Order: sequence, then structure tokens, then C-alpha cells
Amino acid sequence: MSSGADTSAAGGAPTASLYVHVPFCVLKCAYCAFHSTTLSQEPGVAEHFAWAVGEGAAHWAALGVLDDVASIYVGGGTPTTLGYPLVTLIESLLGTCKLAEDAEITVETNPDTTDPALIERLVESGVNRFSVGVQSFDDDVLRALGRCHSSVAAHRAVQSLVGSGAEVSLDLMCGVPGQSPESWRRTLERALECGAGHVSVYPLSLEEGTPLADSVHSGKVDTPDDDCAADMMETAAECLGDAGLHRYEVASYARSGCESVHNTGYWTGRPYIGIGPSAASMLPSDTFSTAIACEAWSDPGLAGVGRTIDGVPQESVRVRFLRAADTAGFLRHPVGPPEEIEYLTARQAAAEDAMLGLRLARGIADELAVAAGAVAALQDLTALGLVERVDGHWRVSAAGWLLGNEVFEAVWFAGTRRGLA
Amino acid sequence: MSQATHIRNFSIIAHIDHGKSTLADRVLELTHTVADRDMVEQVLDSMDIERERGITIKAQAVRVLYEADDGETYQLNLIDTPGHVDFTYEVSRSLQACEGVLLVVDAAQGVEAQTVANAMMAMNAGLEIIPIINKIDLPAADPERVRHEIEEGLAIPADGAVLTSGKSGEGVRAALEAVIAKVPAPEGDPDAPLKALIFDSYFDTYRGVVALIRVIDGRVSKGMKVRMMANNTVTDVEEVGVRRPANLPVDTLEFGEVGYLITGLKDPALVKVGDTVTLARHGATEPLPGYREVKPMVFTGLFPIDGDQYPDLRDALDRLQLNDPALIYEPESSHALGFGFRVGFLGLLHMEVVKERLEREFDLELLATAPSVEYHVFTTAGDEVIVHSPQDMPEAGVIERVEEPYLRATVLVPPDYVGAVMELAESRRATFKDMQYLSATTVEMHYDIPLSELIMDFFDQLKSRTRGYASLDYEYIGYRVSKLVKLDILLAGKVVDALSFIVHRDKAYQRGRVLTEKLREIIPRQMFEVPIQAAIGGKVLARETVRAKRKDVLAKCYGGDITRKRKLLEKQKKGKKRMKNVGNVEVPQDAFMAILKVDE
Repeated sequence: MSSGADTSAAGGAPTASLYVHVPFCVLKCAYCAFHSTTLSQEPGVAEHFAWAVGEGAAHWAALGVLDDVASIYVGGGTPTTLGYPLVTLIESLLGTCKLAEDAEITVETNPDTTDPALIERLVESGVNRFSVGVQSFDDDVLRALGRCHSSVAAHRAVQSLVGSGAEVSLDLMCGVPGQSPESWRRTLERALECGAGHVSVYPLSLEEGTPLADSVHSGKVDTPDDDCAADMMETAAECLGDAGLHRYEVASYARSGCESVHNTGYWTGRPYIGIGPSAASMLPSDTFSTAIACEAWSDPGLAGVGRTIDGVPQESVRVRFLRAADTAGFLRHPVGPPEEIEYLTARQAAAEDAMLGLRLARGIADELAVAAGAVAALQDLTALGLVERVDGHWRVSAAGWLLGNEVFEAVWFAGTRRGLA
Repeated sequence: MSQATHIRNFSIIAHIDHGKSTLADRVLELTHTVADRDMVEQVLDSMDIERERGITIKAQAVRVLYEADDGETYQLNLIDTPGHVDFTYEVSRSLQACEGVLLVVDAAQGVEAQTVANAMMAMNAGLEIIPIINKIDLPAADPERVRHEIEEGLAIPADGAVLTSGKSGEGVRAALEAVIAKVPAPEGDPDAPLKALIFDSYFDTYRGVVALIRVIDGRVSKGMKVRMMANNTVTDVEEVGVRRPANLPVDTLEFGEVGYLITGLKDPALVKVGDTVTLARHGATEPLPGYREVKPMVFTGLFPIDGDQYPDLRDALDRLQLNDPALIYEPESSHALGFGFRVGFLGLLHMEVVKERLEREFDLELLATAPSVEYHVFTTAGDEVIVHSPQDMPEAGVIERVEEPYLRATVLVPPDYVGAVMELAESRRATFKDMQYLSATTVEMHYDIPLSELIMDFFDQLKSRTRGYASLDYEYIGYRVSKLVKLDILLAGKVVDALSFIVHRDKAYQRGRVLTEKLREIIPRQMFEVPIQAAIGGKVLARETVRAKRKDVLAKCYGGDITRKRKLLEKQKKGKKRMKNVGNVEVPQDAFMAILKVDE
């Protein structure tokens, strides 16, 4: 499944990814600052949402943007809270997109919404990968995070997902208040026992305004210690590496061939369409210009929806945009001009690709480093021991993994300082 | 203009916050000097900082015409004086321009340290003192107690004290009647050569230096040639006038009158507060007594946070100096902070005000190093070195002795807090002199204290340890030998010049330990381990370590996260920009401030 991951926009490679944001959760977790709501008990909301996603996909398909799709990723929130309308949603997407060979179709799920019957239907309809938010196999840690599942439920859910024949990826979280090194090691071991081919490891980041951040500020919960999180990230690299899951990205570990096609797209500059509230899209400027001109956006019924776009700035080569930031806005108008737009120059786009490419174990090629104007910065980082140059590629060193922000910052600013007026 | 018999020159003096400026406002209102529509609070405090802080920094002179109860109209010249010990010299010159003062005392607070200091100054100048008990509208007002304090503590008869409320205006007319009745009309010789006292000056962009003067003898008119006696500068009188409070030109200022004088002079250094103006030819032979050069007492390094702002800082200092000749500065460079200036101030308030004005009026972001005083260092070779900055301190080996400036501090405090004051004074190397009860509720204590100790948040400490009751005044008494050493702070093995300071040997260890601990908390973890050391010469007294940063990574980065992530990096970068690179250690500005607030 890694066939499409290696190349960016080179000839022959798939031209886009599709992301769907399902903003519903059973319960919002204590650390979560993302846009999500609990699914309303009102009948028909899930069906309405699935219909709206279909409308969005049809719009982009009509513009030819979804003619060669490398991957579809239905994330959230927790998509499986939709229940069976999720199957309808998947089927409508697969009917709309032209998929590349070996296309990766991922659905995110949580242990408490992983219903084996639903999983079976999803696999039948074409889903070939699940990403499950386990976070931990320690009940104390799960409680601290405000997750509503137990470790037993997590184990059961992962087993049923693995049994479905699809690829399975587990999300695990370290640096959680109250989490001991032993607890973390046990969680990693349990993950491996379940037979997951892909594991993502995230150190907890406290987001202001979340209940967890409030507990930390009020002193009810200890501040997560950076050193401790660093130790845990190193434990993960060692433990997962020994079991044959190599680290191909700062937070991602996989058996060979199980690397995420979809996520790799984000780190290699592949265009993507995001559908759903607060789902970002990224397109080359010329493709975006076509969208501006289309009839669907100039419908008089859309007056006051999204931003007024006078045209794409001449120096822009890449556009990142967001249709609607909230669920109600998206459901009212799944198609229409975006609410948020960002234009990037060639230099900025290269700097962004270089910054993101350095998240990957293989790093970035010389050509991209030059295009990003980041060679001098990379040399400085090499002197600091954070970056190394191997076979015409720049990549982060063992020390650089944990200090990624130093690397990303240096590369991004090296590229933009000279690239911008 | 007016007959001298119908002129009264007076000043309002008070402890800070006792209502001096508000009372002045009421006088302007009562005499219709300022139209109601132009009335703002604290009319005479023209700077924003003066209004906000409720302090007067510059002296002001305003002429009001008052129709008294006797039916006659009097010319009253009200001279508003700075209300802070930093400006004691200016106050003394302002008082020289008067025949009387209104001594304003808060009806609730009673007599405080600056009330005493100001009253003494007025007595020494031989002025008529009219006690005013102000803020009688306050619920806690106790005029009888305050009257008693004035009589007992200051030995000023207070039977005739006028009760006023600056807030309601009550008693203001009675105060002016007291001025007419008690303050003597000015005396002088109309036929003698001109003698006028400069009691303040300011800079006008179009007119140059404007001096505020009191004519003692003779007269001054437009077109005359005059001489500044301190530096023998001769110049033409371009304009004379009175302030109401806007400048109003007149033909002549006669003896006894107060007004302004504009000459061709553009350099404030030539028009000095305390100097005497006389005729260029056949002028007075003796200047008025009491003139002295104003010397800065406190020095600090001011550095722009953005090195590109150095020229802007220089321009801003040049501009401020025009209105504030007491401000002196010279370029200084620091390895840690780049190019800046070593600036001398009259005192701490003066320093704060100048820094605030530079930042606010000139839009500069500044970093101030620990304030220092002027040390006199005598070397074994017999030389005397004047040291304003720790950087200039000679090597320990060649120092024979060091002298530092001392103050006589007067603290007024309720008896309950005497112990707290003693404790603080002892920790600041102060020597107890004496103590006396001014009244049952007020004790006056005297200490000799090094200026360097007073400028390290002494006043804040005094206030907090006495729950705000203590008041402080001080005067300079001269230099004394002290066991002083330079304490260096090293980051990653290198001395950071901007963090060095001069300290008494007995306190060096303690200060070094506290400061290194504080710096360890303030300095963020870097890419490598950073040792923090405090040392005298090569001898390390204290050491702390900032461990190397191990983790700084945001693990999630998909789709829409990318924009968010970049914004986070930009925010992080901005934070770093506000730090100073010292060697390759990033040091937040707080680190340079920490040194100012080290209390053991």
C-alpha cells in the first residue's frame, strides 16, 4: 500500500487525497481542542451528514479533482458514531472518486464505537484500513484523559478490527499526567500483542481551554514532564523497532508496507480535498482558479456564504482553504466558497514541503532543500547534531526526532525570510 | 503692571498624594483662570505620566488674578513644585521664588516624611507657612489630630490652619484669603540692576529654551541684553510674559513678578535651574545664593531590545534632555545587550519616568540593567576612578579602597512598625542614628544608608512591611568607605557583563546564590546544558544548571494542522526574538530584571 507514498506530484502518481471530517463523538475527551460535537439524538442527522459529504465529493469530482485518488481518510471526531449511515457515506465516496490502484481507504474509530457488524459492512464496502484511538491500555491513564472506554474494551475492539482483515493502526499517547514508564511500556507491549501493523505515538500537548489543561493549571493534576515524555518517546522507538515496526515519521511506526499512504501525502505535498466542517483542502492555484469560476460557487443562493474571492494572487502556486468551520454551516452549504483561504508562494510551498518532509525518516532531497532556500539552515542544524545528510537527502538525526520543532522552525523561516517581501 | 503690594508669590508643598494638584486645580477654577470647558484634572501636570501617576515632575508657574474680600484685585503667582525627593533641588529653587507656602497635609494621613522635609525647606528659606488640612471630606478625616501633629511634629502654629476639600472646593477661598493676609508682598529694588532667578525651564520646539523666572530686583523687558551668570552667556531677550497657564507675552516683568523668559538660547545646558539672569552690561556682581550643578545619583544601562533602534534611542534621549537637563547619558556597549547608553538620573522615580517616557512617547522597547550609583575607587597606584557601571570596576587586585554615596534617611512610621523598619534597615546596611516621637501615632527614625541599598526596591519593601504606613525622605550626606566587590554572573562559562553588579562583600554569597537560583527558573532549557555561576574574580560562589532541552515536537501534523503548526512556530519564533542572545544562550528579558528584585 505504500506504492503511492514515495512520490509527490511527479507524473504518474495519484493527484489527490480525500479527507472527510466527521465532527461527532460519543463524548469529548478531556484533552481535545478539536471541533467536535456529540451526535444529536434527532433522527436523520447522520443521514443528512452522509448526504452532505456526498454533495461535496460530487462537486469536486465534477471539476476533475478526484480523478486519480491515492487515499480516502474518514476521520473525526469519531466517524463510527454515525453508525450505518457511515456505510452509505463510504459507498457514495467510492462511487464518486476514481481511485488509484491500491488506494488506501481508512476509517477512524474508537474502542467504544467499534461494533463488529458495522466493521464487517465497512470492509465489505471497500474500507481497507482502520485507525483506532486506543491511547492507552492502562485504565488510570484512560481516566486521566477522560476517555470513555476501558482497557479491556480497547483490547477487544482492536482484536475485532484485526480480525476483519483490514490494516489496523493504533494511536497511543505518552506524557500523560500520572502515566508511569512501566504503564507506557505495558501499553506498547499490548499494542504489539494485538497484531497492529501501524502505531502512532503522540506526546500529550496541553491545549488551553480544555478540562485537562484547567486541571493542570489549578494544580489538581501534575504538569506532564517534558523529560518524562521524551523518555517515553524513546522507549516507543526502541520497543516498536525491536518488534519490526520502523519509525518512518516522527510519530509513526509501521511494518514495511503498512505506512499510511494518506498521511504520507500530507508530508510530501500531495494535493488534498477536505470535506466536512473544519476540514482543510490544499490545491494547486490553477485548480483552485477553476473552482472559483464554477457555477456552484456563484449561485445567488450562496450570497453571504464564505469569502468573496476576487482572484488568486499572481505569485501564489498553492491554496489552502476551509469550506466551513462549523457543522451547521457545512450542513447548510456543503458546497460553496470557503470561509478561510491561505495563498502560498512557490518559495513558501517549498519551505512547507521541506519542513513537513523532514518529519519523514527518509527526509528531503537536495533539490527541495535548495528550492526552499534552506540549505544554510540545514547546515547549521547539522552542526547542532539535529540533522544529517545521507545519499543526497537531508534527514533528522536520532537527537533531531525529539527536537523536531527546532528543525521545522529553522527550515520554515529560512525559506520564508528570503521568499517573502 | 501690578503694584508689588498687590503681588503674592506662593507655592503649594505636600507629601505625595495629599492633594496638591487638585487644590491647584480649584484655585484656577475659582479665579476663572481656566475656562470650565478647558478644565481637566491636574491642569498643571501637563505630561500624561504626571496625570496618571498623580505626581508633579516639572515645576509650573501660573498667574491668577484674585478679587479678595477687601475688594482689591491681587496678582497671585502659584508655583507648583515637584512632589518627590528626586527633585529636591528643583523644589528648593522654586521656594526661592516665593514668599510663602501652603503646606498641604492630608486630613486622614496626617504628617508624613515629605511633609516634614518640605516644611523644613520652607522654614530654611524663611517663608511664611500656612498649614492647610486637606481632604476634610474623607470619612477618615481627623483634622484635630492632624492639627496637633503639625504643631507638635513641625512646631508650626496650626490655630489658623485652613480646612479644605480639593474635591468640593470647600475652604479654597479661605486659603487664598490667608495668602493675601499672611504672605508678605515681595520686596526688591526696582532701580537696582536686574536679578532674576531661573527656577525651571522647558524646551519649545519653535522658541528654544523657555525659562521660568522670578524677578528679584530691577526689571526685564523684550529687547534687553542679558547674561546668565553661571556660565557668563550673553543673549537677547526675545520675549517675556506670564503663564495663565498659556503663555501671554507682556512688555516687562517688574521686581517681585513671576513669568517666563525666552532668549535666543537653544541649548538647555546654558539655561540652568538656580542660575541668575542679570544685565549684560552694568549687571549685578553677585548672583543669587544657592545655585549648584545638579548631579545624577543613579545610573543604569538602557539598551534597545531591537538593536536597530539604537539611533532612535539616541534621538529620543536628545529630545528628552532638552526638557530635562538633569538627564545625562553616554554611549555604552555590552557584549550581551549590544549598543545602548549609560544614563544618569536624579533618583529612582526620575529613572522610571524617563524609561516610561522613552517607551511610550518614542515607541521604544528598552531593557534596563541593574541601577548603580557613582562609586569612587582608589587604586593601589594612587589613582581615583569614577565608576558608574560594574563594567568599569578595576580588577580586584589593584583596588586600595572603594567609597560609596550615603544618604541620611528619615522614616516616619506608626510606633507598631518600628521593629519592621529596624529589621529592614539592618538588612540594608543602614546605621541607626536616632528616633523620636513626633506624636503618639508617629515616630521619626533616622538612618545613614548607602544609596545603593536604597535603590534596590527599598521603598517597596518599606511600604509592604509597614502596610503602607511608612513614609520616606532622604538627603545626600557624602561618601564613605565600604567593602565592595563586583559580582559576575557567568552563563555557559562566559561572563554576562549586563548581569554584573557591585555588592557588599558580606552579602555577595547570599545574593549570588539567590540570583543563580532565580536565573535557573527564568532561563528556558536550550539545546545544550547551561551552567549558571556567580563569581567574584575567578572564584565561583554559587552554581546552578539549566538542563538541556530534550523534547520539543508537536507530533500531530495532518491536513489542517499544517497551518496551525506553522502559526505555532511563528509564535515560538516571536517569543525567541524577545530574548537576547548571550553567546549562544537565549536569555529572556526577565533575567535582566531579576537582578533588580533580589530580596534575601
